[in-house]
Amino acid sequence: MPDVTLPVRNPSGLHARPAALFVKTAAGFSADVRVTNLTRNPDKSTAARSLLGVLALGVSAGHEIRISAEGDDADAAIATLTELVESGLGEELEAEPGT
Amino acid sequence: MTAALRGVPAAPGVALAEPWVYRPATGGDDRVGLDEAVATAAAQLTALGERLRAAGREDEAGILDAQALMAEDPELLSAAGRAMEGGSGASAAILAAGEEQAALLEGLEDEVLSARAADVRDVAERIARVVRGQAIPALERRSVAVAVDLPPSVTAELDPRFLVGIALEAGSPTAHAAILARALGIPAVVGVPGLLDAVEQAATIGVDGGSGEILLDPDSAATERLETAMAARRDLEAADAALRDAELATSDGHRVMLGANIGRPEEAKDAAEAGAEGIGLFRTEFMFMGRTTAPSVEAQAAAYARALAPFAGRPVVIRTLDVGGDKQLPYLRQPPEDNPFLGVRAIRLATGNRPLLVGQLRAILTAAAGSDAEAWIMAPMVADMADVELVRGLVEEAGGSGDATVKVGIMVELPAAAVVADQLAEAVDFFSIGTNDLTQYLLAVDRTNPALAERQDPMHPAVLRSIRSVIEAGHERGIPVAVCGEMAGDPAGAVVLTGLGIDELSMDPRSFGGVKRALASLSLADTRRVAERALAAHSASEAREIATSAMAGTVGSTHG
Repeated sequence: MPDVTLPVRNPSGLHARPAALFVKTAAGFSADVRVTNLTRNPDKSTAARSLLGVLALGVSAGHEIRISAEGDDADAAIATLTELVESGLGEELEAEPGT
Repeated sequence: MTAALRGVPAAPGVALAEPWVYRPATGGDDRVGLDEAVATAAAQLTALGERLRAAGREDEAGILDAQALMAEDPELLSAAGRAMEGGSGASAAILAAGEEQAALLEGLEDEVLSARAADVRDVAERIARVVRGQAIPALERRSVAVAVDLPPSVTAELDPRFLVGIALEAGSPTAHAAILARALGIPAVVGVPGLLDAVEQAATIGVDGGSGEILLDPDSAATERLETAMAARRDLEAADAALRDAELATSDGHRVMLGANIGRPEEAKDAAEAGAEGIGLFRTEFMFMGRTTAPSVEAQAAAYARALAPFAGRPVVIRTLDVGGDKQLPYLRQPPEDNPFLGVRAIRLATGNRPLLVGQLRAILTAAAGSDAEAWIMAPMVADMADVELVRGLVEEAGGSGDATVKVGIMVELPAAAVVADQLAEAVDFFSIGTNDLTQYLLAVDRTNPALAERQDPMHPAVLRSIRSVIEAGHERGIPVAVCGEMAGDPAGAVVLTGLGIDELSMDPRSFGGVKRALASLSLADTRRVAERALAAHSASEAREIATSAMAGTVGSTHG
């Protein structure tokens, strides 16, 4: 099962709009994608297609997350989501905090 | 019978209309299956989001988009499924599931996520209403919206053409509905205990967003008072709107440049629309506050570029970081200080945090190079020529030495700078007088101490005389002199400053109308006479009285 560990660097973390973008993107794959917030609780993972689940991970800027995927397009899902998180989830990286 | 309640003012203005009351679903039989209701609610939320986006309400549209996702969220639906297996009906099950998910988010003790908790409850309410075949009553006549709280998807359904005011039993001035009220320019009062019970029998409700007063079924005297206030506000708004394209000038056509003070890049566009000829003060602290590491040069450059964008060919004065002392940043190397206002602030940070300031200047230069606007760099807390050399050195280190298009100026806010302004004017491209700090330092009045509030008046003759000598020093060397303190947005202050020969007044755009009216009511010679007499006054109150009586009869009060 492929996975990736990476920091979330956009100012509002996986809150609100960036979280919605992440969830919508994950839901576009048939693979079962799961997310863990390693900084807050490495033992708790959630389905990436659940906005409420992702919000409840409480991922803030600077937190490390692990994304894992299982299924036909698992590798593509990981690659796309990695790029999305690294590009700032539609937010300007390290720009205005808390907008 | 007039009944009066009182809450917290959240958006200015006055409204008088019938109440439109929103109450959360309280019961009713289930009529529609949960799956169907979920699909319907999700479609409604998507449509509302699209409608808001089409109306340019992008931030709210984002919330509705997220709510559409929440409606079909697997976590929410499995929680509802569990409740139904336990014997709950569909509407009760979805309400319980919404509550469970909301509590989870609130448990994270994060302000942003707590706000999302309210969004989940709103979604569950909406699904429950669909299950029960209920709908939110339409807002079809001029009304004041009344509720305990107005959740986002309910607010989104309110037709802005008919919404004239908002009154909430709960909520704070930072609540979603209060922000909307300010955006729509309608009054809002929040935190009104007993509001929903009291409004039950009321046919009309008056909202005074200035005082926080709520009047239910106001009698003729109270109605008249509200209507007078409404008319006065409409007149003032109309007068301000009519003045939007008017120049800031005296009655005989002496022009003063009108600048805007902003604290965030997105305010630049609003300032331009309000008629600003440039930005006289862009405070950059927003980039640096509330974070654990310094912002990158690239992120700063992008933010500064956004502030420059609406002002092609016009000056945008960007003030370098003015923190330290009372505003601590975790990534600044700074020991605690006994007297922060007299401590290591602003440009003085260069001693221990030079890379931070050089990085900011590099970001400003980058933004300037890619923009049609003129970026002017302004250094705060400069005391003498050594500080000017320090600033010049920082700009040079940032790569801005040979570039003649980037002007470098200083805030004149230390009495020391005012005294040696003749020297400083030789070495910088412009002055901007920071009257708030100049007053505080010149009069030894702590501006954060409410007991001394009356003494913190820039109309003090000592401050006025300092300003006069700074303007003279600047003009002798041919550099422009602006004022960017609160005095510039105060009609009496603006009149005196004009009489003293100021080149630019920079202020909050909400003050534009009042200051334009004040200047237009007097000739240049009038303002000079007022300034001469104010300079000779024995106190701030006497100087203020001289200016106010000169304007009397021709000038209304300031905006707001």
